[in-house]
Amino acid sequence: MYGDMTWADQPLARRDAFSRIARATLGVGLLPALSHCLEAAAATPARARNIIYLMMQGAMSHIDTFDPKPGREEQGETKPIRTKTPGIVFGQHLERLAGLSERLAVIRSLSTETGAHEQGQYLMRTSYQMINSIRHPAFGSWAVHAMGRISKDLPGYVLVGNGNEHPGAGFLDPSLGPVPIADPTKGLENTKRPGYLSEKSFTRRLALAEKIDRDFKERYPGPEVQAYNQLYKDAVRLLGSVDLQAFDISKEKPEMRARYGESKAGLGCLLARRLVEAGVRCVEVEFGGWDMHRDVFDEMEEKGPQLDRALATLLEDLQDRGLLSSTLVVLATEFGRTPRVNENAGRDHHPGVFSCVLAGAGVQAGAVYGASDERGFSPARDAVSVADFNTTIAAACGLPCGKEFQAPNGRPFKIGGGGKPIAAILS
Amino acid sequence: MRDAHRSMFRVGRGATPQVVFICLASVVWLLPVAAVAHKPDTVRKAPAAGGKKSTKPAPFKLPAAAMAQPKGKVMRVAPVDRATRPQVAAAAARIDELLAKHWQQHGVAAAGPLNDAQFVRRIYLDLGGRIPSYDEAVRFLDSQADTRRADLIDRLLESPDYVSHTYNFWADILRLCERPQKDLYFEPYLDWVKRSIAANTPYDAWVHDMLTADGKVWENPAAGFQLRDKGMPLPYVDNTVRVFLGTQIGCAQCHDHPFDRWTQHQFYELAAFTSGTRMRQAGAREKDEEASRQGAQATKNANAEAQRRVKEIVGAVREKVREREFSGDFNQFVAANLTSVHYRPAKLLLPHDYQYDDDKPLAAVAPKVLWGEEPAPTGDGRRQFAGWVTSRDNRQFARTIANRMWRRVMGVGLVEPVDDFKDDNPASYPELLEHLTDEMLRLDFDLREFLRLLVSTDAYQRRAVLHDPASTAPFRFTGPALRRLTAEQLWDSILTLVARNEWAFQRPESAAFAKLVDVDLAAADTTYADVERSYRKFADTYGIGAYRQHLQATYGYKGQVLVRASELPTPLPLGHFLRQFGQSDREVIEGGRTVATVPQILAMFNGPITHSMLERGSVIYDEVLAHPAQDAVDVVFMALLTRRPSAEDRALANEEIRAADTPAAGCGNLIWALLNTREFIFIQ
Repeated sequence: MYGDMTWADQPLARRDAFSRIARATLGVGLLPALSHCLEAAAATPARARNIIYLMMQGAMSHIDTFDPKPGREEQGETKPIRTKTPGIVFGQHLERLAGLSERLAVIRSLSTETGAHEQGQYLMRTSYQMINSIRHPAFGSWAVHAMGRISKDLPGYVLVGNGNEHPGAGFLDPSLGPVPIADPTKGLENTKRPGYLSEKSFTRRLALAEKIDRDFKERYPGPEVQAYNQLYKDAVRLLGSVDLQAFDISKEKPEMRARYGESKAGLGCLLARRLVEAGVRCVEVEFGGWDMHRDVFDEMEEKGPQLDRALATLLEDLQDRGLLSSTLVVLATEFGRTPRVNENAGRDHHPGVFSCVLAGAGVQAGAVYGASDERGFSPARDAVSVADFNTTIAAACGLPCGKEFQAPNGRPFKIGGGGKPIAAILS
Repeated sequence: MRDAHRSMFRVGRGATPQVVFICLASVVWLLPVAAVAHKPDTVRKAPAAGGKKSTKPAPFKLPAAAMAQPKGKVMRVAPVDRATRPQVAAAAARIDELLAKHWQQHGVAAAGPLNDAQFVRRIYLDLGGRIPSYDEAVRFLDSQADTRRADLIDRLLESPDYVSHTYNFWADILRLCERPQKDLYFEPYLDWVKRSIAANTPYDAWVHDMLTADGKVWENPAAGFQLRDKGMPLPYVDNTVRVFLGTQIGCAQCHDHPFDRWTQHQFYELAAFTSGTRMRQAGAREKDEEASRQGAQATKNANAEAQRRVKEIVGAVREKVREREFSGDFNQFVAANLTSVHYRPAKLLLPHDYQYDDDKPLAAVAPKVLWGEEPAPTGDGRRQFAGWVTSRDNRQFARTIANRMWRRVMGVGLVEPVDDFKDDNPASYPELLEHLTDEMLRLDFDLREFLRLLVSTDAYQRRAVLHDPASTAPFRFTGPALRRLTAEQLWDSILTLVARNEWAFQRPESAAFAKLVDVDLAAADTTYADVERSYRKFADTYGIGAYRQHLQATYGYKGQVLVRASELPTPLPLGHFLRQFGQSDREVIEGGRTVATVPQILAMFNGPITHSMLERGSVIYDEVLAHPAQDAVDVVFMALLTRRPSAEDRALANEEIRAADTPAAGCGNLIWALLNTREFIFIQ
């Protein structure tokens, strides 16, 4: 079914061929002619091996976080604070990140066309507009597809959060979709066999199901059925793995947990770090609640510090473990919020300009790229599209983002959406 | 079927049917304890602990409330008119003719017809949202009546199962949940949706009601629809047009979209109809203005007085919350009592950064519909809007719901996605879509009759065919698309195997809810103390914490509340079985998914829902016990997969039962195995 997927000039068996290209482009063996993004990224071999992608769902206000407008009416009640980077201020709730600003690459000139959450998140995750005839893969699925799994037992891609609206593997093999973890404190649930059930009985049960189901599977070899066939295998392998405890944050010392904070962001980041450490290629952490149409300043008081603590601790912890040089950390959101404060003391959707942040492997630490105008309404210089942003991420991972592929519906596409990587923030 | 393998338990281990029977009766199937098999005196009544030194007493029991035999009628559902059967058959035949023509044109062949076993499973799932119970399946398969399929269709369409399943269908579209915002109490609205389905209210009247309802949600529950987007008047218009007219104009909210025909100006013109919708109680101040126009000084004074009292009470409540005597829910309780939908004409202005030449920023926009005739002005712009949306002349309204219903039955819409009709997204078979639209109009928006017609077609009663949404080849409807059960279908199906009374609990009725929640804050004799008393009572019953606790305590099993999916409070937590299998978070329109994930499989392996089936006293447990031992395999196959085992299946199952520590454990293993087949979770 998906085996038909080919790319324009590389009519080889899909997965193998792509893995080969990816492997060839990783590390020092870069193919210089491959694409402009690789050229942009080719200066050093510091490519990301893992990705932690934090998705601020609901659209994070840029003015109250990474792009304050000191002295302007639009700033409202959130006070700007100084950061370690001269001349750069953050919102008051990002105190610890302000202290780590030299490790961040902040992009302040992103903009998009869509002010609807679902479409905006889809675009952010896939680099493509949501259209009827096709579902595009999320970046994490691309990463696993191209770079392969690291651990043979653990999934390549984990999503800490809901996942209902997540594009998942899109048109790629469904098994490349993220394994969703609903609650980081519970980790992966139902991994324990009941006490009465021996491994032998379990295996026998499975074999029985397999045999009885053979006829049905033969009659319906469609992608949805095959996805279940594959994931049943994955689930069984996972259950037998010692790495399973990577999903269990209770194995962490209470002090460590306290450092990250008990928020969804904090626990999600802690789990992400454990998973990356154990060999999960890509972890996405959803952190919702940014849709602050009402009382934005009150809401920021809760949300801002949670994010600050979680992300700052994550960066420090990765650094301490020597993982920051191989892990790319992305802080993304679907769009910004209006500079004007509305009658409910909130801010509404504003795709006109917004901020996102990169840190870690492959990224020029301390960079601030682009700027919004004095009101925080539109990009003032170095405008960055979502495709540019995602292409930059792809470049930081050493993926062949300039290459054109063909989706099953015949449309061409590129990893990262065919944007221009931001050379200034790639290391 | 029952004679074919009478000797099954004689093979191996020398077990006689009698011994097997004892095993089933005396051991929770989870515990493969061979010892008990040799204690014939424990037949039937022996509890797990009886005669057996169980190291760990089973800490969980199936909830008595869900296991008791149901009493009385579950709910009133409007009867289906048997007299219209000939018309239904004729209309179904017409659709089949159109499809036959289509297949011929494209050189495709129809899928084979469903046999009775496949039919009974599918029709229960599609109309009732669950698999048939063992009894239901056998009764149908034993029936010799020529009209057995039509009989079953009609019976299902007037069952509580139909109401429950259809509720889930709409809940996904309308984003139904108990508390869309902290101060919106939606229980009455949810109950009203369910009752409208049971009463089979015509769809056009139902929608009209939702778009125009006035009052508090417990006075007029239909108001819930407008309240769902409270504080977001523009997204409200976007969502409404998307759901009922299958048209996406949302992008035009911010700017003209290069690929879309709708301009920002058109969006605002449409939104101007409903821009006067108010969600705060038509409180003292507005009445006050009215009064001064009339010059009635006395009324004016009385209203000012009422306003003062409301303010005082609200202030007192805030103070109590600030002092932490009560949680913030107390504030929300008061806010909910001040939330009431009404309409007062108001101008809608273009945004201050409006960037097109056809008008100026901040210019007032006159209401105008997207297509068709302008509705005659009334004092209430919502009535104009609703009149236009639901008019018989607005064919897109009928077309949208016809297409939705077609997808509901066939798995794929003639236009996909069903809420994105546009010029460059034409129907895969326009003639059929127009015919279905005509049928919808002919039936006067009787959705249930329409559904009855669709499931009576030959096309529907064919084997499922594979559909790849990523493929560019259009789906030709040579049979319904193969689909995974929705999360709700899966949950309710397993419940059918577990709970004898899956209707033990139903969500609260609007009237009962109103009684506890309603406080007239403006009434002359309402004091703070009254409000506090009302709140306490309310919080103890319907406060979301107390409510959940009650459900858990009464219907809980290992943290799962064993009632129908339609009756559970939503959105459910992320880790819940229903959410794992893709139930919507009820934040986005049609957020439900059927994508495979690893946690789903782990839940099927080891989760509490799987185990509930294997507990003593579950429906399937008792069903097996109620039959002679040699029928166990047949019963399990019929109860789970709604079919008789093939010769090979039977051999495999017998082998499993023989090889397991005890036949009972083997039987549990067989149930577990069938649950973990693709055949179980897909509708073939």
